Amino acid sequence: MTDGKKQASLSRRAALKKGLLASGSVGASIATGSLLSSSAQAASHATQSQPEKLITEVQDWNKYLGDGVDARPYGRPSQFEGDAVRRSVAWLTADPKSSVNFTPLHKLDGIITPSGLCFERHHGGIAEISPDDHRFMINGLVDNPLVFTMQDLARFPRENRVYFLECAANSGMEWRGAQLNGCQFTHGMVHNVMYTGVRLSHLLKEAGLKSNAKWLLPEGADPSHMTRSIPMEKALDDCLIATHMNGEALRPEQGYPMRLVVPGWEGNMWVKWLRRIEVGDKPWHQREETSKYTDLLEDGLARRFTWEMEVKSVVTSPSPQAPVNHGRGQLVITGLAWSGLGKIKRVDVSIDGGRNWTTARLDEPSFSKSVHRFYLDINWDGKEMFLQSRAIDELGHVQPTKNQLRAARGLNSIYHNNGIQTWHVRNDGSVENVEIS
Amino acid sequence: MLTGKRSLFSNQPGVISKYVLTVLFIGLSNGIVGNVSADAAKGKMLFGQCSGCHQVGPEAKHLFGPILNGVMQREAASAPDYAYSDALKNKLQGGNWSDESMDAFLAAPMSYAPGTKMAFVGVQSEEDRANLINYLRSIDTDGNSSDAATGVLNESEQSSENASNEPPQERRPATEFAVPEHGVLHLGRLALAEEVQAWDIDVRPDGVGLPVGQGSATVGGELYDAVCASCHGDFGEGTGRWPILAGGMDTLTEERPEKTIGSYWPYLSTVYDYVRRAMPFGNARSLSDDDVYAITAYLLYLNDLVDEDFTLSSDNFSSIALPNEQNFIADNRLEEAFRQSSEPCMSNCADEPAVVLQRARVLDVTPEGN
Ligand code: HEC
Ligand code: HEC
Repeated sequence: MTDGKKQASLSRRAALKKGLLASGSVGASIATGSLLSSSAQAASHATQSQPEKLITEVQDWNKYLGDGVDARPYGRPSQFEGDAVRRSVAWLTADPKSSVNFTPLHKLDGIITPSGLCFERHHGGIAEISPDDHRFMINGLVDNPLVFTMQDLARFPRENRVYFLECAANSGMEWRGAQLNGCQFTHGMVHNVMYTGVRLSHLLKEAGLKSNAKWLLPEGADPSHMTRSIPMEKALDDCLIATHMNGEALRPEQGYPMRLVVPGWEGNMWVKWLRRIEVGDKPWHQREETSKYTDLLEDGLARRFTWEMEVKSVVTSPSPQAPVNHGRGQLVITGLAWSGLGKIKRVDVSIDGGRNWTTARLDEPSFSKSVHRFYLDINWDGKEMFLQSRAIDELGHVQPTKNQLRAARGLNSIYHNNGIQTWHVRNDGSVENVEIS
Repeated sequence: MLTGKRSLFSNQPGVISKYVLTVLFIGLSNGIVGNVSADAAKGKMLFGQCSGCHQVGPEAKHLFGPILNGVMQREAASAPDYAYSDALKNKLQGGNWSDESMDAFLAAPMSYAPGTKMAFVGVQSEEDRANLINYLRSIDTDGNSSDAATGVLNESEQSSENASNEPPQERRPATEFAVPEHGVLHLGRLALAEEVQAWDIDVRPDGVGLPVGQGSATVGGELYDAVCASCHGDFGEGTGRWPILAGGMDTLTEERPEKTIGSYWPYLSTVYDYVRRAMPFGNARSLSDDDVYAITAYLLYLNDLVDEDFTLSSDNFSSIALPNEQNFIADNRLEEAFRQSSEPCMSNCADEPAVVLQRARVLDVTPEGN
């Protein structure tokens, strides 16, 4: 930087500072206040006796020039959205390299999860792989075992699909009762993005399947060398090998340069950093389908290969991290619903803990095995509410209550908790995760 | 009961596994950092194998191993509030780490300072060690790293860097590219047998995929103590929150089931397969096939399923069944009683108004800062 330039930028900063100090008014303090706590928004007022300085005075951002075009070659969220971030629960696991963090569902709207906010689950940290160094192999019961480069993959016909990915352990901490206070933590192991990818069937055809080819074993290139057994019918039905999410290359956290997409099935099967698929005639019973991802029942038996993620929903706002700050009157209740078996047909919302239900408005777009956004616009009387949502999918499966699941499975299943969630909204607008009668 | 087993092993000083010997040998022969190019950015990636036990950075905490901020600029074994072994404290006797001593330590910690708590096999490649040392040197005592050394680039540097790194493409007429014969779209190339063999390490319950080999529980115990026990505990009981591997028999119907290889896992092949592909955590694929046989045998022994003199091999592998195999069933969720086909209730679904039975705040386990 030349001295002249340095001077100029220093004096601009000084001017900015002065501007803030000079307008040391209510308006300015709200503005700076929101720098500190990005979620704090100015409360809505029924009346205003003094003219608002935010309106009557010229604000810094009205006057001083902002950053030019090249300041943010890869854009980033507004500085006022600093708390829309993934968060982890440190006590859950021994080490952050084999751990999980959670999507901030309470901060999001619509159905697409921004790539940088998709929850992460790694078993050996994030593998950083140059696409030039990545190789993908198909071997086993095929006519020709093959090796592909990323360039080879880009020459297959590709398509775009929106799918949710939910970890089978999502809501797993809630089997014994209300534990974590926020839908980010109770339901944040789900994300929903648009994938660009190649149908797995194209790749398998290229290698040529033998007649006894019944199962696949995808394997990751990360230090866990993640593996899962997948039946051939699923692979040929709708599995993709994705290279892109939300229009750009996959994020490293999500398996760059390629991951498996297994629509509607538990997230652990969507092997990231995919480097190999073996074709076989029987399942392999890998660690992630025996020690983990099997559902222990009360009688000591354990279900295995519980692949489908069943119908589920949650109110994302109001919720413990998104309390009602505006008092009684018009209130938007919104949330997400999804089913690994197809589209969502209907979502009902209750404000009295499941005594009475109102069908919510299902917003577009509606894709199979994708999350759906629902809204219920109500006139809140300011009295306490027990908010619940109940989703029904196109096959008619109704989201069960947590107690129905507990009665059927006991408390030690860990996985596949798709029970109805209750949020207690107090008369001051604060919200808590509760279990009710 | 388990304590008894443990002393059986430590009373056998004669048993030193081939594995530990190899490490010792390499450690002695490569004691000095030669003129290999030291690249801190590569070191940062290599540090992945250390980060299960060590943290660096301004927020670093002691884990099983001490914080390594500024370790190359300070006295050996001097991080505050960390309980070092006497073995390491006495080794350099208050002196600073040098390139040479650090290189020797990282090559074979347990032979460099016998009795050290750093139960880690060591880094075999001289170049990797040099890169690691350069990386450690780039981190100051506050945990900040000099950007140039660690390859952390700011946004604009990154984009220009990438642009200039593009290798100049040699353009060739498209007709000069060979098109393979196989398949429908003629994409990819045939995999070579050696390539398939290098990656195809999966093992099935029926024994398909098992390599030829063998290993005894005795050797397995030595290996386990050296490279597994720091996380999984001397008896497989799991230290801290690291996974538990042994015990828990007959607890599956209890309030807090303990799911271990002995109490829960259906197949032994999964143990062999998983340890070979993913363990030790942070140093995957470092064990030989026979090492994995030995450790698998020892894990069976820790679970009371075989005797101490048991040897597991590709020949007797399929004869071992795990006790819980029969208790796994197919997915029958759709048969659950609560599933009704009728329309769900819409109004007056319960007589009494809802009453709170349990609150998340009482437990207070939600992280701060929402
Ligand atoms: C299994 C856990 C574990 C792993 C993996 C591990 N360490 Fe250690 N490390 C330790 C422990 C424990 C100590 C303390 C040793 C003692 O007190 O005897 C230590 C000590 C050290 C020290 C000396 C620290 C000091 O204050 O003087 C250095 C340097 C070090 N380790 C580097 C590494 C590097 C580099 C790696 C990866 C290549 C690594 N360690 C992998 C556990 C581990
Ligand atoms: C640095 C700590 C560490 C060391 C050392 C380590 N492990 Fe692990 N081990 C882990 C972690 C973490 C997991 C869980 C990984 C995951 O879920 O992604 C694990 C999982 C396992 C499991 C599966 C447990 C289950 O219930 O599913 C087995 C078996 C295992 N380790 C065996 C070993 C053996 C054998 C060794 C030595 C060769 C070893 N580990 C060394 C940390 C360690």
